[in-house]
Amino acid sequence: MDYTVRDNGGVRELELRGQMTFEADAGFREILAEWEKGGVAECVLNLSAVEYMDSAGLGLLVLANNAAKRTGVVFRLKHPRGQVRELIEISEFHTLIPCEF
Amino acid sequence: MSGGPPVLIGHPRPHAAGPLRDVLGRLGVRDVTVVDGGGLAGALAAGAPQMLLLHAGLPGFGPQLMAELRTEAHLRDLPILALGRFPGGRARAELLRSGATDLLARPLTLAELSARLSPHLENRRLDRSLQEVIRSLRNHHSDAVQRMALARDMQLDLLPDATLCRSLERRYGIALDSHFESSSELGGDLWGARPIDDRRFALFLCDFTGHGVAAALNTFRLHALLARSDLPADDPAETLRVLNGLLVGLLPETQFAAMFYAVVDVAADRLVYATAAAPKPLVRRPDGGLDVGPSCGLPLGVAAEARYRNQCLDFPPGSALVLFSDALYEARGWDGRMFGYGGVTDLVRGLEDDAPDRPLRCLLDRYFTAMPRLLADDLTVLWVSRTGRPTPGPD
Repeated sequence: MDYTVRDNGGVRELELRGQMTFEADAGFREILAEWEKGGVAECVLNLSAVEYMDSAGLGLLVLANNAAKRTGVVFRLKHPRGQVRELIEISEFHTLIPCEF
Repeated sequence: MSGGPPVLIGHPRPHAAGPLRDVLGRLGVRDVTVVDGGGLAGALAAGAPQMLLLHAGLPGFGPQLMAELRTEAHLRDLPILALGRFPGGRARAELLRSGATDLLARPLTLAELSARLSPHLENRRLDRSLQEVIRSLRNHHSDAVQRMALARDMQLDLLPDATLCRSLERRYGIALDSHFESSSELGGDLWGARPIDDRRFALFLCDFTGHGVAAALNTFRLHALLARSDLPADDPAETLRVLNGLLVGLLPETQFAAMFYAVVDVAADRLVYATAAAPKPLVRRPDGGLDVGPSCGLPLGVAAEARYRNQCLDFPPGSALVLFSDALYEARGWDGRMFGYGGVTDLVRGLEDDAPDRPLRCLLDRYFTAMPRLLADDLTVLWVSRTGRPTPGPD
Protein backbone atom coordinates (compact mmCIF):
# COMPACT_ATOMS: atom_id res chain seq x y z
CA MET A 1 0.00 0.00 0.00
CA ASP A 2 1.23 3.51 -0.75
CA TYR A 3 -0.45 6.86 -0.45
CA THR A 4 -0.44 10.48 -1.47
CA VAL A 5 -1.04 13.29 0.99
CA ARG A 6 -2.82 16.49 0.01
CA ASP A 7 -3.23 19.24 2.57
CA ASN A 8 -5.79 21.92 2.03
CA GLY A 9 -6.01 24.24 5.00
CA GLY A 10 -6.68 22.02 8.00
CA VAL A 11 -8.11 19.26 5.81
CA ARG A 12 -5.77 16.42 4.90
CA GLU A 13 -6.78 14.03 2.14
CA LEU A 14 -4.97 10.73 1.98
CA GLU A 15 -5.33 8.83 -1.23
CA LEU A 16 -4.47 5.20 -0.56
CA ARG A 17 -3.45 2.80 -3.30
CA GLY A 18 -3.08 -0.95 -3.50
CA GLN A 19 -4.18 -3.39 -0.83
CA MET A 20 -5.23 -2.69 2.73
CA THR A 21 -4.21 -5.85 4.53
CA PHE A 22 -2.02 -6.78 7.47
CA GLU A 23 1.01 -5.75 5.41
CA ALA A 24 -0.25 -2.16 5.38
CA ASP A 25 -0.07 -1.96 9.18
CA ALA A 26 3.29 -0.19 9.49
CA GLY A 27 2.52 2.38 6.79
CA PHE A 28 -0.86 3.08 8.28
CA ARG A 29 0.55 3.64 11.74
CA GLU A 30 2.94 6.20 10.21
CA ILE A 31 -0.09 8.09 8.94
CA LEU A 32 -1.71 8.03 12.37
CA ALA A 33 1.53 9.15 14.06
CA GLU A 34 1.29 12.34 11.98
CA TRP A 35 -2.08 13.09 13.57
CA GLU A 36 -0.55 12.94 17.01
CA LYS A 37 1.83 15.77 16.00
CA GLY A 38 -1.15 18.07 15.46
CA GLY A 39 -2.01 20.46 12.67
CA VAL A 40 -4.58 18.13 11.13
CA ALA A 41 -8.15 19.09 11.97
CA GLU A 42 -9.86 16.84 9.47
CA CYS A 43 -8.70 13.78 7.53
CA VAL A 44 -10.37 12.20 4.54
CA LEU A 45 -9.32 8.72 3.52
CA ASN A 46 -9.83 8.43 -0.21
CA LEU A 47 -10.25 4.72 -0.91
CA SER A 48 -11.01 4.95 -4.63
CA ALA A 49 -7.65 3.42 -5.59
CA VAL A 50 -7.69 0.68 -2.93
CA GLU A 51 -8.32 -2.50 -4.88
CA TYR A 52 -8.61 -4.93 -1.98
CA MET A 53 -9.24 -4.78 1.74
CA ASP A 54 -9.54 -7.68 4.19
CA SER A 55 -10.58 -7.84 7.84
CA ALA A 56 -7.09 -6.71 8.90
CA GLY A 57 -7.70 -3.63 6.72
CA LEU A 58 -10.96 -3.04 8.57
CA GLY A 59 -8.90 -3.28 11.76
CA LEU A 60 -6.75 -0.42 10.49
CA LEU A 61 -9.87 1.67 9.97
CA VAL A 62 -10.88 0.95 13.58
CA LEU A 63 -7.39 2.00 14.66
CA ALA A 64 -7.69 5.23 12.66
CA ASN A 65 -11.15 5.96 14.00
CA ASN A 66 -10.00 5.52 17.58
CA ALA A 67 -6.91 7.66 16.93
CA ALA A 68 -9.15 10.36 15.41
CA LYS A 69 -11.35 10.40 18.50
CA ARG A 70 -8.30 10.58 20.74
CA THR A 71 -6.64 13.42 18.83
CA GLY A 72 -9.80 15.36 17.96
CA VAL A 73 -9.40 14.80 14.22
CA VAL A 74 -12.59 14.65 12.14
CA PHE A 75 -12.21 11.43 10.19
CA ARG A 76 -14.18 10.16 7.22
CA LEU A 77 -13.95 7.80 4.28
CA LYS A 78 -14.50 8.54 0.64
CA HIS A 79 -15.25 6.61 -2.55
CA PRO A 80 -14.67 2.95 -1.75
CA ARG A 81 -14.97 0.85 -4.89
CA GLY A 82 -15.72 -2.76 -5.79
CA GLN A 83 -14.77 -5.29 -3.15
CA VAL A 84 -13.76 -2.54 -0.70
CA ARG A 85 -17.18 -0.91 -0.94
CA GLU A 86 -18.91 -4.25 -0.52
CA LEU A 87 -16.83 -5.08 2.55
CA ILE A 88 -17.60 -1.70 4.12
CA GLU A 89 -21.31 -2.14 3.44
CA ILE A 90 -21.48 -5.73 4.73
CA SER A 91 -19.59 -4.77 7.86
CA GLU A 92 -21.54 -1.50 8.17
CA PHE A 93 -18.38 0.49 8.76
CA HIS A 94 -20.14 3.49 7.25
CA THR A 95 -22.24 3.56 10.44
CA LEU A 96 -19.05 3.79 12.45
CA ILE A 97 -17.07 6.17 10.24
CA PRO A 98 -18.85 8.66 7.94
CA CYS A 99 -18.39 7.49 4.37
CA GLU A 100 -19.12 9.25 1.11
CA PHE A 101 -19.94 6.52 -1.41
CA MET B 1 38.62 -18.52 26.88
CA SER B 2 38.38 -18.76 30.63
CA GLY B 3 37.32 -22.21 31.80
CA GLY B 4 37.44 -23.21 28.17
CA PRO B 5 37.65 -26.63 26.61
CA PRO B 6 40.37 -29.04 27.65
CA VAL B 7 43.26 -29.40 25.27
CA LEU B 8 45.08 -32.70 24.90
CA ILE B 9 48.75 -32.61 23.91
CA GLY B 10 50.48 -35.70 22.58
CA HIS B 11 54.20 -35.18 23.21
CA PRO B 12 57.12 -37.63 23.13
CA ARG B 13 58.50 -35.95 26.31
CA PRO B 14 55.57 -34.66 28.34
CA HIS B 15 57.83 -32.87 30.81
CA ALA B 16 59.10 -30.71 27.89
CA ALA B 17 55.62 -29.43 27.03
CA GLY B 18 55.84 -26.60 29.57
CA PRO B 19 56.18 -23.78 26.99
CA LEU B 20 53.13 -25.13 25.15
CA ARG B 21 51.14 -25.15 28.40
CA ASP B 22 52.23 -21.56 29.08
CA VAL B 23 51.11 -20.36 25.67
CA LEU B 24 47.74 -22.09 26.07
CA GLY B 25 47.40 -20.69 29.58
CA ARG B 26 47.94 -17.16 28.28
CA LEU B 27 45.18 -17.86 25.75
CA GLY B 28 42.87 -18.76 28.65
CA VAL B 29 43.11 -22.54 28.44
CA ARG B 30 43.80 -23.86 31.91
CA ASP B 31 42.71 -27.45 31.46
CA VAL B 32 45.56 -29.04 29.49
CA THR B 33 46.45 -32.71 29.59
CA VAL B 34 49.77 -33.93 28.22
CA VAL B 35 50.30 -37.59 27.35
CA ASP B 36 53.06 -39.51 25.63
CA GLY B 37 52.60 -41.92 22.76
CA GLY B 38 51.53 -44.72 25.07
CA GLY B 39 48.85 -42.65 26.76
CA LEU B 40 47.31 -41.09 23.68
CA ALA B 41 44.85 -43.85 22.78
CA GLY B 42 43.58 -44.14 26.36
CA ALA B 43 43.12 -40.38 26.72
CA LEU B 44 41.17 -40.15 23.45
CA ALA B 45 39.05 -43.18 24.32
CA ALA B 46 37.97 -41.43 27.52
CA GLY B 47 36.36 -38.68 25.45
CA ALA B 48 37.09 -36.15 22.76
CA PRO B 49 39.03 -33.08 23.88
CA GLN B 50 38.21 -29.71 22.41
CA MET B 51 41.55 -29.65 20.62
CA LEU B 52 44.36 -32.13 20.03
CA LEU B 53 47.96 -30.97 19.62
CA LEU B 54 50.26 -33.68 18.30
CA HIS B 55 54.02 -33.35 18.42
CA ALA B 56 55.60 -34.75 15.26
CA GLY B 57 58.14 -36.60 17.39
CA LEU B 58 55.42 -38.80 18.88
CA PRO B 59 56.01 -42.49 18.10
CA GLY B 60 53.74 -43.50 15.22
CA PHE B 61 53.08 -39.90 14.16
CA GLY B 62 52.20 -39.56 10.49
CA PRO B 63 49.37 -39.66 7.96
CA GLN B 64 48.29 -43.11 9.06
CA LEU B 65 47.76 -41.96 12.66
CA MET B 66 45.78 -38.97 11.39
CA ALA B 67 43.60 -41.18 9.24
CA GLU B 68 42.99 -43.62 12.09
CA LEU B 69 41.96 -40.82 14.44
CA ARG B 70 39.48 -39.51 11.87
CA THR B 71 37.76 -42.88 11.60
CA GLU B 72 36.60 -42.46 15.21
CA ALA B 73 33.16 -40.86 15.12
CA HIS B 74 33.75 -38.74 18.23
CA LEU B 75 36.99 -37.34 16.77
CA ARG B 76 35.65 -36.52 13.30
CA ASP B 77 35.20 -32.80 13.91
CA LEU B 78 38.04 -32.39 16.41
CA PRO B 79 40.68 -29.79 15.50
CA ILE B 80 43.98 -31.72 15.27
CA LEU B 81 47.08 -29.56 15.04
CA ALA B 82 50.46 -31.05 14.27
CA LEU B 83 53.56 -29.38 15.69
CA GLY B 84 57.01 -30.12 14.30
CA ARG B 85 59.34 -29.81 11.37
CA PHE B 86 57.75 -30.76 8.09
CA PRO B 87 60.48 -30.40 5.50
CA GLY B 88 58.73 -31.64 2.37
CA GLY B 89 55.67 -30.07 0.77
CA ARG B 90 54.38 -33.51 -0.19
CA ALA B 91 54.59 -34.71 3.45
CA ARG B 92 52.76 -31.62 4.63
CA ALA B 93 50.03 -32.10 2.05
CA GLU B 94 49.72 -35.77 2.96
CA LEU B 95 49.25 -34.94 6.65
CA LEU B 96 46.56 -32.40 5.83
CA ARG B 97 44.78 -34.82 3.47
CA SER B 98 44.87 -37.52 6.15
CA GLY B 99 43.07 -35.42 8.69
CA ALA B 100 45.33 -32.79 10.25
CA THR B 101 43.46 -29.54 10.66
CA ASP B 102 46.59 -27.41 10.51
CA LEU B 103 50.37 -27.74 10.71
CA LEU B 104 52.37 -25.61 13.13
CA ALA B 105 55.75 -25.82 11.43
CA ARG B 106 58.89 -25.13 13.35
CA PRO B 107 60.87 -22.97 13.71
CA LEU B 108 58.20 -21.04 15.54
CA THR B 109 58.48 -18.41 18.30
CA LEU B 110 56.11 -18.66 21.23
CA ALA B 111 54.41 -15.47 20.05
CA GLU B 112 53.86 -17.00 16.63
CA LEU B 113 52.62 -20.21 18.22
CA SER B 114 50.15 -18.20 20.27
CA ALA B 115 48.94 -16.35 17.18
CA ARG B 116 48.48 -19.64 15.29
CA LEU B 117 46.62 -21.38 18.13
CA SER B 118 44.35 -18.47 18.94
CA PRO B 119 42.06 -18.63 15.85
CA HIS B 120 41.72 -22.42 16.20
CA LEU B 121 40.62 -22.06 19.80
CA GLU B 122 38.27 -19.23 18.88
CA ASN B 123 36.79 -21.22 15.98
CA ARG B 124 36.24 -24.17 18.27
CA ARG B 125 34.56 -21.96 20.85
CA LEU B 126 32.28 -20.42 18.21
CA ASP B 127 31.54 -23.83 16.73
CA ARG B 128 30.55 -25.15 20.14
CA SER B 129 28.38 -22.08 20.77
CA LEU B 130 26.72 -22.56 17.40
CA GLN B 131 26.11 -26.25 18.10
CA GLU B 132 24.61 -25.29 21.44
CA VAL B 133 22.32 -22.74 19.79
CA ILE B 134 21.24 -25.27 17.16
CA ARG B 135 20.56 -27.89 19.82
CA SER B 136 18.61 -25.38 21.88
CA LEU B 137 16.59 -24.27 18.83
CA ARG B 138 15.86 -27.89 17.92
CA ASN B 139 14.61 -28.57 21.45
CA HIS B 140 12.57 -25.39 21.43
CA HIS B 141 11.07 -26.24 18.05
CA SER B 142 10.25 -29.76 19.12
CA ASP B 143 8.56 -28.48 22.29
CA ALA B 144 6.68 -25.83 20.32
CA VAL B 145 5.43 -28.41 17.82
CA GLN B 146 4.16 -30.60 20.66
CA ARG B 147 2.47 -27.68 22.38
CA MET B 148 0.89 -26.57 19.11
CA ALA B 149 -0.38 -30.08 18.42
CA LEU B 150 -1.99 -30.16 21.84
CA ALA B 151 -3.50 -26.70 21.33
CA ARG B 152 -4.79 -27.73 17.91
CA ASP B 153 -6.48 -30.80 19.40
CA MET B 154 -8.07 -28.53 21.98
CA GLN B 155 -9.31 -26.22 19.24
CA LEU B 156 -10.76 -29.09 17.22
CA ASP B 157 -12.55 -30.20 20.39
CA LEU B 158 -14.46 -26.90 20.30
CA LEU B 159 -16.18 -28.00 17.09
CA PRO B 160 -19.24 -30.27 17.01
CA ASP B 161 -18.12 -33.89 16.93
CA ALA B 162 -19.50 -36.59 14.65
CA THR B 163 -21.89 -37.85 17.34
CA LEU B 164 -23.50 -34.45 17.75
CA CYS B 165 -23.72 -33.95 13.98
CA ARG B 166 -25.40 -37.33 13.38
CA SER B 167 -27.76 -36.65 16.28
CA LEU B 168 -28.76 -33.30 14.75
CA GLU B 169 -29.18 -34.95 11.36
CA ARG B 170 -31.61 -37.53 12.72
CA ARG B 171 -33.50 -35.11 14.89
CA TYR B 172 -34.04 -32.42 12.27
CA GLY B 173 -33.93 -34.36 9.00
CA ILE B 174 -30.77 -32.71 7.71
CA ALA B 175 -27.36 -33.67 6.37
CA LEU B 176 -24.66 -31.57 7.99
CA ASP B 177 -21.19 -31.49 6.47
CA SER B 178 -18.31 -29.27 7.47
CA HIS B 179 -14.80 -28.42 6.45
CA PHE B 180 -12.41 -26.71 8.87
CA GLU B 181 -8.91 -25.86 7.71
CA SER B 182 -6.50 -23.52 9.45
CA SER B 183 -3.86 -21.67 7.49
CA SER B 184 -1.40 -22.46 10.30
CA GLU B 185 -1.47 -24.82 13.28
CA LEU B 186 -4.19 -22.80 14.95
CA GLY B 187 -6.96 -20.78 13.38
CA GLY B 188 -9.43 -18.02 14.08
CA ASP B 189 -12.57 -19.77 12.83
CA LEU B 190 -15.20 -21.46 14.94
CA TRP B 191 -18.51 -23.03 14.03
CA GLY B 192 -21.15 -24.81 16.04
CA ALA B 193 -24.65 -26.19 16.08
CA ARG B 194 -26.96 -26.97 18.95
CA PRO B 195 -30.58 -28.02 19.41
CA ILE B 196 -33.10 -25.48 20.67
CA ASP B 197 -36.26 -27.61 20.63
CA ASP B 198 -37.75 -30.38 18.47
CA ARG B 199 -38.20 -28.16 15.44
CA ARG B 200 -35.38 -25.63 15.77
CA PHE B 201 -31.64 -25.72 16.04
CA ALA B 202 -29.05 -22.98 16.10
CA LEU B 203 -26.10 -22.84 13.73
CA PHE B 204 -23.23 -20.37 13.73
CA LEU B 205 -19.96 -19.64 11.99
CA CYS B 206 -17.49 -17.12 13.35
CA ASP B 207 -14.26 -15.80 11.90
CA PHE B 208 -11.92 -13.68 14.02
CA THR B 209 -9.56 -11.20 12.38
CA GLY B 210 -6.19 -12.64 11.56
CA HIS B 211 -5.14 -16.20 12.14
CA GLY B 212 -2.67 -18.12 14.26
CA VAL B 213 -2.42 -18.13 18.02
CA ALA B 214 -4.03 -14.75 18.80
CA ALA B 215 -7.08 -15.48 16.64
CA ALA B 216 -7.32 -18.99 18.11
CA LEU B 217 -7.35 -17.62 21.65
CA ASN B 218 -10.33 -15.50 20.65
CA THR B 219 -12.22 -18.59 19.45
CA PHE B 220 -11.81 -20.06 22.94
CA ARG B 221 -13.18 -16.84 24.39
CA LEU B 222 -16.20 -16.98 22.13
CA HIS B 223 -16.78 -20.65 22.81
CA ALA B 224 -16.89 -19.91 26.53
CA LEU B 225 -19.30 -17.01 25.99
CA LEU B 226 -21.59 -19.14 23.84
CA ALA B 227 -21.88 -21.65 26.68
CA ARG B 228 -23.60 -19.04 28.83
CA SER B 229 -27.15 -20.07 29.54
CA ASP B 230 -28.47 -16.50 29.51
CA LEU B 231 -27.96 -15.99 25.78
CA PRO B 232 -31.20 -15.49 23.84
CA ALA B 233 -30.20 -18.43 21.65
CA ASP B 234 -33.44 -18.50 19.64
CA ASP B 235 -33.13 -14.86 18.52
CA PRO B 236 -30.12 -14.42 16.23
CA ALA B 237 -30.00 -10.61 16.28
CA GLU B 238 -30.27 -10.52 20.05
CA THR B 239 -27.66 -13.25 20.39
CA LEU B 240 -25.22 -11.21 18.32
CA ARG B 241 -26.03 -8.06 20.27
CA VAL B 242 -25.33 -9.76 23.60
CA LEU B 243 -22.16 -11.44 22.30
CA ASN B 244 -20.97 -8.12 20.92
CA GLY B 245 -21.53 -6.46 24.27
CA LEU B 246 -19.46 -9.16 25.95
CA LEU B 247 -16.63 -8.99 23.40
CA VAL B 248 -16.29 -5.19 23.30
CA GLY B 249 -13.59 -4.37 25.78
CA LEU B 250 -12.45 -8.00 25.85
CA LEU B 251 -10.80 -7.92 22.43
CA PRO B 252 -7.78 -5.75 21.58
CA GLU B 253 -8.35 -2.66 19.44
CA THR B 254 -7.85 -4.16 15.98
CA GLN B 255 -9.34 -7.60 16.66
CA PHE B 256 -12.97 -8.44 16.06
CA ALA B 257 -15.14 -11.17 14.67
CA ALA B 258 -17.37 -11.71 11.67
CA MET B 259 -20.24 -13.98 12.67
CA PHE B 260 -23.27 -15.64 11.17
CA TYR B 261 -25.88 -16.98 13.58
CA ALA B 262 -29.04 -18.73 12.42
CA VAL B 263 -32.03 -20.46 13.92
CA VAL B 264 -33.20 -23.13 11.52
CA ASP B 265 -36.87 -24.03 11.89
CA VAL B 266 -37.57 -27.28 10.06
CA ALA B 267 -41.29 -27.14 10.89
CA ALA B 268 -41.67 -23.67 9.38
CA ASP B 269 -39.26 -24.50 6.50
CA ARG B 270 -37.21 -21.37 7.04
CA LEU B 271 -34.21 -19.99 8.76
CA VAL B 272 -33.90 -16.75 10.64
CA TYR B 273 -30.41 -15.36 10.84
CA ALA B 274 -28.36 -12.32 11.68
CA THR B 275 -24.88 -11.40 10.55
CA ALA B 276 -22.03 -9.36 11.94
CA ALA B 277 -19.87 -8.57 8.89
CA ALA B 278 -20.19 -12.19 7.79
CA PRO B 279 -20.26 -13.36 4.16
CA LYS B 280 -23.71 -13.55 2.61
CA PRO B 281 -25.28 -16.99 3.12
CA LEU B 282 -26.35 -19.08 0.15
CA VAL B 283 -29.46 -21.26 -0.06
CA ARG B 284 -29.73 -23.65 -2.97
CA ARG B 285 -33.41 -24.19 -3.65
CA PRO B 286 -34.90 -27.60 -4.54
CA ASP B 287 -35.27 -26.38 -8.14
CA GLY B 288 -31.51 -25.70 -8.30
CA GLY B 289 -31.89 -21.90 -8.06
CA LEU B 290 -29.74 -19.97 -5.66
CA ASP B 291 -30.83 -17.43 -3.05
CA VAL B 292 -28.16 -15.08 -1.75
CA GLY B 293 -29.17 -13.85 1.67
CA PRO B 294 -28.45 -10.26 2.64
CA SER B 295 -25.72 -9.55 5.14
CA CYS B 296 -25.01 -6.39 7.09
CA GLY B 297 -23.89 -5.60 10.59
CA LEU B 298 -20.82 -4.36 12.40
CA PRO B 299 -18.28 -7.03 13.34
CA LEU B 300 -18.49 -8.25 16.93
CA GLY B 301 -16.22 -6.45 19.34
CA VAL B 302 -15.95 -3.08 17.58
CA ALA B 303 -18.73 -0.89 18.98
CA ALA B 304 -20.77 -1.43 22.14
CA GLU B 305 -23.82 0.22 20.63
CA ALA B 306 -23.96 -2.11 17.60
CA ARG B 307 -27.38 -3.55 16.77
CA TYR B 308 -28.16 -6.44 14.47
CA ARG B 309 -31.12 -7.36 12.27
CA ASN B 310 -32.86 -10.66 11.76
CA GLN B 311 -33.23 -11.80 8.16
CA CYS B 312 -35.33 -14.68 6.91
CA LEU B 313 -34.76 -17.22 4.15
CA ASP B 314 -37.03 -20.04 2.95
CA PHE B 315 -35.44 -23.38 3.70
CA PRO B 316 -37.79 -26.13 2.53
CA PRO B 317 -36.94 -29.85 2.28
CA GLY B 318 -34.60 -30.43 -0.66
CA SER B 319 -32.81 -27.13 -0.20
CA ALA B 320 -29.31 -26.59 1.15
CA LEU B 321 -27.71 -23.83 3.20
CA VAL B 322 -24.07 -23.07 2.37
CA LEU B 323 -22.01 -21.00 4.81
CA PHE B 324 -18.33 -20.16 4.59
CA SER B 325 -15.64 -17.90 5.95
CA ASP B 326 -14.30 -15.18 3.66
CA ALA B 327 -11.16 -17.19 2.91
CA LEU B 328 -13.23 -19.18 0.40
CA TYR B 329 -13.67 -16.23 -1.94
CA GLU B 330 -10.76 -14.00 -0.92
CA ALA B 331 -8.20 -16.71 -1.70
CA ARG B 332 -6.13 -16.13 -4.82
CA GLY B 333 -5.61 -18.67 -7.55
CA TRP B 334 -2.39 -19.64 -9.26
CA ASP B 335 -2.76 -16.60 -11.50
CA GLY B 336 -3.00 -14.26 -8.49
CA ARG B 337 -6.66 -13.46 -9.11
CA MET B 338 -9.14 -13.62 -6.26
CA PHE B 339 -11.64 -16.48 -6.43
CA GLY B 340 -14.43 -14.00 -5.64
CA TYR B 341 -17.93 -14.40 -4.27
CA GLY B 342 -19.17 -14.93 -7.82
CA GLY B 343 -16.78 -17.85 -8.07
CA VAL B 344 -18.43 -19.41 -5.02
CA THR B 345 -21.96 -19.00 -6.38
CA ASP B 346 -20.84 -20.50 -9.71
CA LEU B 347 -19.28 -23.40 -7.84
CA VAL B 348 -22.45 -24.11 -5.85
CA ARG B 349 -24.65 -23.76 -8.96
CA GLY B 350 -22.32 -26.08 -10.85
CA LEU B 351 -23.00 -28.88 -8.39
CA GLU B 352 -26.71 -29.07 -9.22
CA ASP B 353 -26.33 -31.39 -12.21
CA ASP B 354 -24.56 -34.17 -10.40
CA ALA B 355 -24.93 -33.23 -6.76
CA PRO B 356 -23.99 -36.22 -4.66
CA ASP B 357 -25.56 -36.96 -1.28
CA ARG B 358 -22.71 -35.16 0.46
CA PRO B 359 -21.83 -32.38 -1.98
CA LEU B 360 -19.32 -30.52 0.20
CA ARG B 361 -16.46 -32.86 -0.66
CA CYS B 362 -17.27 -32.48 -4.34
CA LEU B 363 -17.36 -28.68 -3.97
CA LEU B 364 -13.97 -28.60 -2.25
CA ASP B 365 -12.40 -31.00 -4.74
CA ARG B 366 -13.42 -28.67 -7.54
CA TYR B 367 -12.34 -25.62 -5.58
CA PHE B 368 -8.86 -26.94 -4.89
CA THR B 369 -8.27 -27.92 -8.48
CA ALA B 370 -8.38 -24.19 -9.25
CA MET B 371 -6.84 -22.89 -6.02
CA PRO B 372 -3.49 -23.48 -4.29
CA ARG B 373 -3.91 -25.79 -1.32
CA LEU B 374 -1.96 -23.56 1.06
CA LEU B 375 -4.48 -20.93 2.06
CA ALA B 376 -3.48 -17.56 3.46
CA ASP B 377 -6.47 -17.51 5.82
CA ASP B 378 -8.50 -20.01 7.82
CA LEU B 379 -11.29 -21.70 5.89
CA THR B 380 -14.54 -23.08 7.21
CA VAL B 381 -17.35 -24.27 4.96
CA LEU B 382 -20.67 -25.68 6.15
CA TRP B 383 -23.21 -27.43 3.96
CA VAL B 384 -26.59 -28.18 5.53
CA SER B 385 -29.07 -30.03 3.32
CA ARG B 386 -32.67 -30.61 4.28
CA THR B 387 -33.08 -34.24 3.45
CA GLY B 388 -36.70 -34.50 4.58
CA ARG B 389 -38.83 -34.38 7.64
CA PRO B 390 -37.20 -35.18 10.92
CA THR B 391 -37.09 -38.78 12.08
CA PRO B 392 -38.90 -39.15 15.41
CA GLY B 393 -36.58 -40.72 17.93
CA PRO B 394 -35.26 -40.62 21.43
CA ASP B 395 -33.03 -37.59 20.64
